[in-house]
Amino acid sequence: MFRSIASQTLVRSSFRTYANGVPALRSIRPQNISPRSIRLFHQSFINYHGHIHKPKPGEELHVTFITKDGKQHEFEVAEGDNILDIAQAYNLDMEGACGGSCACSTCHVIIDPEFYDEIPEPDDDENDMLDLAFGLTETSRLGCQIVMTKELDGIRVALPAMTRNLQSKDFN
Amino acid sequence: MPPIKLAIIGAGPSSFYVASRLLASLPPSSPHHSALRIHMYDRLWAPHGLVRYGVAPDHPEVKNCTHKFDDAASDLRLQFFGNVNIITTPPIAPVPGSVMLPLKSLISHYTHLLLSSGCTLPTLHPALPPSDDCVSALSLVHWYTQHPSVVHKPPPPLEKYKHVSIIGQGNVSLDVARMLLTPPSTLEKYDVPESVLEVLRRSSIKHVSILGRRGPLQAAFTTKELREMMNLEDSSMVPIDHTHLAIPEGTKLTRQQSRTMQLLQKGSKNKPGLDFQDLVVGLLRSPTGLAPPLSSLASPSLPYTLSLAHNELSPEMRAIPTGETSTLRTSMVVTALGHQAEPTIPWYDPSLRHVRAVGSRVVNETGHTMKNVYASGWAAMGARGVLVSTMIDAYGVADTMLADSFPEQFYKEGDALRSATDGGSLGDLSEVMAKEADLDSVPEEVLDAKATGNVTDYNDWRMIDQEEVRRGEKLGKERERMNWEDAKAFLGRMGGSL
Repeated sequence: MFRSIASQTLVRSSFRTYANGVPALRSIRPQNISPRSIRLFHQSFINYHGHIHKPKPGEELHVTFITKDGKQHEFEVAEGDNILDIAQAYNLDMEGACGGSCACSTCHVIIDPEFYDEIPEPDDDENDMLDLAFGLTETSRLGCQIVMTKELDGIRVALPAMTRNLQSKDFN
Repeated sequence: MPPIKLAIIGAGPSSFYVASRLLASLPPSSPHHSALRIHMYDRLWAPHGLVRYGVAPDHPEVKNCTHKFDDAASDLRLQFFGNVNIITTPPIAPVPGSVMLPLKSLISHYTHLLLSSGCTLPTLHPALPPSDDCVSALSLVHWYTQHPSVVHKPPPPLEKYKHVSIIGQGNVSLDVARMLLTPPSTLEKYDVPESVLEVLRRSSIKHVSILGRRGPLQAAFTTKELREMMNLEDSSMVPIDHTHLAIPEGTKLTRQQSRTMQLLQKGSKNKPGLDFQDLVVGLLRSPTGLAPPLSSLASPSLPYTLSLAHNELSPEMRAIPTGETSTLRTSMVVTALGHQAEPTIPWYDPSLRHVRAVGSRVVNETGHTMKNVYASGWAAMGARGVLVSTMIDAYGVADTMLADSFPEQFYKEGDALRSATDGGSLGDLSEVMAKEADLDSVPEEVLDAKATGNVTDYNDWRMIDQEEVRRGEKLGKERERMNWEDAKAFLGRMGGSL
């Protein structure tokens, strides 16, 4: 269900021409650790950005990222880690230009409406930055401000496009 | 496909985001990995453009994006050449110490060119010609960031000013207001040079008016910056005339507009009337002139009289004069009316005040797309938007460049850009760049200047960066900046010493 909502919101925002970006073209860093505890829909590797913790056995929380190409990436994570750090640790295309200090909007994510109300409300600083996010939706948040808790186990977040791709109308 | 040997003019955030995207898109596993070289030229000796010489000192988090730029620069396919000013004709505002390199000497060494030199000149107000006490916000930003172009200019005499009028209501105007109203003891821990702090400590400024020709819904500042104004520790805002905060019937506010209105209605944290410095946000006011100082005055600290025309908004949200006027006694006028590109940069369009580009590609004055010539950032879009908009634009430019060069790998079904390249709307392409280039060649003039120590590379910058942070730590602050003379001495050039 969330997939259809996410794609709708992305389509709705496409009038601003940000939604149809080409998929992330990140280098995959091989030979890195792929913790055994992680279930992968699609292969990913932890890279050097990782500031995340290994979940204690039996206390794993689950988070699913939906990338622009529609792929789902589910990870087992520890309580206390935030969505930006998790995404970067698994080399997903989330920018975090300000280093997770709530001073930019480059870690904008769209939250599954089912989980949106489980997250503590955004504070003024986060709202100020959400004002500037591209393709803002009703359930948009900043990844750096979403800290994993038991209530958020199973949360699904969609990553909006981070490119402004050329459209035919740009030539008009 | 032939390799990409790209020269980037400018080394600001847009340049680095384009470079970073190109490098990351052609990783070691890519067949084109070694078919990419990027040489980044900047007229300043230090890289990072507005991140170093624009971001307000009390916003240190914004500068964290330089970690990504450092990562990009550690890729051997990227080289930085600081202090090289690529020119077609002598620039209007040359930077002292910068080596002039004609564009034609550059392009014979490169197959691709990216113009990413930003908007480096302030837009002036016709009724407010610059003088000692009427300056652009940019000149104050240059002062408090120690921009190489102002190193030998005297600092603003803040000790003789009581009231400052800032014209324009964008984030630069709020940055300047915040720098003038924030206690120096608060600014000390940030990247504010000691010489600047000294001037701020002597400041006599008690009142700042921020004047805009239109209403609160048209103001260009963002909510974060406005909230900071409302929370200044030693200042209060004079409440805004509620008629100016009325929302025209039937207006649907954006999220940002409604939050701006809430902030303005709520007012400052400190209540006005107490012993605070005060801030006036003047809406619907256009300056019409600044009367020269009178010799015999009751209050010598307020020598100027600023004339203001009162406006109302037309249905199209234009500022229309009502015929009413007023005057404001002031000590200094700062114009913060936006920025434009240096008119001497190649493919500059005087009507746009930046480079003429369509969908990332540069277009010449006869409407022909220049093959393999691109533009990004403020040089291409004009001076607007925050870092995230610059980043998104830059990624789009990099993707266009990749799709043009390696279509079999990067062209995506449905993209307009390929069909355009195939003929169609792009028409005849004009060629100026080299068809082939030695991947590692650099113009001789640059090598000569590098040999004399006048051109910097990224390793020089890394050393300076570390040293600035080290000097800052000794003073209990984020960093203590060096100017080019200091940097040269530190790098052991010109026989200087620590």
